[in-house]
Amino acid sequence: MITKKPTVVWFTAISCNGNTHSLLSANSNRFELFLNSFDFIYHPSLTIDKSLEDILNQEERIDFLLIEGSISLNKEFFTLCEDSTFNHLNKLALKSNYIIAVGSCASYGGVHSKFIQNDDICSINKAINEDIIKNLKHNIVNLTGCPVHPEWILQTLFTLKAYGKIALDEVGRPKELYGSLAHHGCTRNEYFEWKVEGNFGQREGCLFYDQGCRGPMTHSSCNKILWNDISSKTRVGMPCIGCTESDFPRNDMLETKKNIGIPHEVPLGISKRAYLSISGVAKTFKIDRLHKKLME
Amino acid sequence: MKTIDLVERIEGEAKLHCTWSNKKVSDARIDFLNFRGFEYILEGKSPLDALVYTPRICGICGQAHLKATVEALENIYENIGQKLEITKKAKLLRQIGLNIEIIDSHIKWFYMFIMPDIIKLDTQDLGIYTPLKGARWLEAQKVASETIKALAIIGGQWPHTSYMIPGGVMCDPTKLDLIMMQNYLQTAISFFEKSISGVNLEDYLSFDNINDIDKLDCDLKYFKDLSFKYSLEKYGKSYNRFISLGESKLFKNEKNRQKIVNKLDFSKINENSNHTFSINKEENNSKKHTWSKSVTYNEQFYETGPLARAIVSNKKFIKHIHENFDDSVFTIVMSRIDELAFLLFETHKLISLVDISENSYIKPKLSLKDISFADGLGFTEACRGSLLHKVSIENGKIKSYDVITPTVWNLGPQYKNQKGVAQKAIIGTPSIEIATIVLRSFDVCSVCTTH
Repeated sequence: MITKKPTVVWFTAISCNGNTHSLLSANSNRFELFLNSFDFIYHPSLTIDKSLEDILNQEERIDFLLIEGSISLNKEFFTLCEDSTFNHLNKLALKSNYIIAVGSCASYGGVHSKFIQNDDICSINKAINEDIIKNLKHNIVNLTGCPVHPEWILQTLFTLKAYGKIALDEVGRPKELYGSLAHHGCTRNEYFEWKVEGNFGQREGCLFYDQGCRGPMTHSSCNKILWNDISSKTRVGMPCIGCTESDFPRNDMLETKKNIGIPHEVPLGISKRAYLSISGVAKTFKIDRLHKKLME
Repeated sequence: MKTIDLVERIEGEAKLHCTWSNKKVSDARIDFLNFRGFEYILEGKSPLDALVYTPRICGICGQAHLKATVEALENIYENIGQKLEITKKAKLLRQIGLNIEIIDSHIKWFYMFIMPDIIKLDTQDLGIYTPLKGARWLEAQKVASETIKALAIIGGQWPHTSYMIPGGVMCDPTKLDLIMMQNYLQTAISFFEKSISGVNLEDYLSFDNINDIDKLDCDLKYFKDLSFKYSLEKYGKSYNRFISLGESKLFKNEKNRQKIVNKLDFSKINENSNHTFSINKEENNSKKHTWSKSVTYNEQFYETGPLARAIVSNKKFIKHIHENFDDSVFTIVMSRIDELAFLLFETHKLISLVDISENSYIKPKLSLKDISFADGLGFTEACRGSLLHKVSIENGKIKSYDVITPTVWNLGPQYKNQKGVAQKAIIGTPSIEIATIVLRSFDVCSVCTTH
């Protein structure tokens, strides 16, 4: 049986192109399978047959519209093909079956919404006309992350192609990708359990206590679906900065805010009392193995 | 006048206006119409947060921004008399990470951004080079994604890691990690030998004569043949003046003007906004047409990037090509690929120099938050050329942050009566196709140009 491959259009708005380069860094077998399974008709950095004008003017519907970057109506700060990203997005959205925000800028406004001198920078959800959103067959899918993991894009597209729908959490993210925390699967978990503090430049210790790690408060599968197939920030020693959540980027991202030595924020869904009781107990035991270097 | 919107296959978007006379471009103007205000965003932020923000200026060269930021912040310590000790291991791991990102970018630029346009001068059938479909295009994606794994071993991920921090780096790779990094680089080395140049890497690196271009095979031979068929060795010439600010093992910090090499004086670097839009509407006028500033050294334009680096570091093969074909499209593309070869060899070597017994990080005794007033300067050689970050701190917060990207040097607008580097290169081209290739030859990154 030969069925027509679903079409994919990638629209780049106010962005650094980081999600594009994340996609290009996908596992090459997976990327090729994606190219063979979908008809990727437009991406500003990659395709050659069609221009953005062609896509804006075409009458055929787009199966999957992927948007990278945040949106603004202000043409003084941002003009693309003579128009605002806001107007382009609405034109494209009107003829799309599924709309997917790729990255935290498209999902929440992200880094670019911190440019307060242009105060209308927003997410695609806020920019797309309400009537268009109401008529969509499926809620907008938010693939958050700065950048998004390429596998999160591919798995979402393949799932929607096979089932027509995907379960979303309350902020529009696929539950299966964002249901667990960045903390889950982190190789430093044992140090977290026994409250062994870490430092930069070391394989040992947990980055939650001083370095600002947001792993226990951040929904993502960074430590389950590894980055570039091999690692994650927390595994190598960089704290999670919570880039999949709507409050990214926050202030003082590389340190832990504390009150009298106690982290201001405790792991998600755990009461401060419960956290302090467990921590207090854990700290009374000095586990020699966890205070030694992994390799002397 | 003919205007084209260059939305496709550059980093971001640009608008090229050409005025014609006698079937040649007599004047050219490049507009970058998008502005994200990173320098404004950074005002009032904690200094260390800049390490998270600045890589997000650009998805393709974020590690260069990270390195410039960390060095600007470390320069603050130096300027208040508390210079930090950074171990050789940390310095190496920073340079290695940046090099890997440049390798990834050069490969993608050649196959995804410039070759399709050059082949199209000759045939509409792109064959193995067809985006998303052709075997060679797919191989380039594969090699880029394999190579960047070497960076993920020390950065945790790419794009957008912030693994460098004042005092060193956050990671602590093992011996096996370093071997894996070399393994991933080997994929790119094999690709260079089998598909890009058709020449063994060591043989390629021994090229020192213009006649060596006849030894090139595979894609570089195809590129060379097309270049000569369509006169790309004659088009795209600009001021023929070069600057390279960053200091590393690879690149000498110098400028080169008609073969006289002088020491750089950073106070002679000047940013200009005469043609640049302002965020204050009332300051805008008809002269202003782009969000890019222009930057000059001692009141003159200089070109930055792989060609500039090859000239100031006296790389013989490129110097001979340059002597024959000046700063043409052909020379610029060759210098980018030549740099790729050089970086593959050098980075492989740098990895073996890492002594894992050294510290990765030495915690600074003083927090940047406890500094009342200080300035810092960081400069590095990024993929597209010299990158400069200037930061001022007041009462522990960023008071101002200034970024001068390589693409501002190359793609910025006119200054006084001098045309910008790329503008001048485009003037004299015989068709919009060639004009576009000339513009592309600078490796256009609009997101960096305006930031």
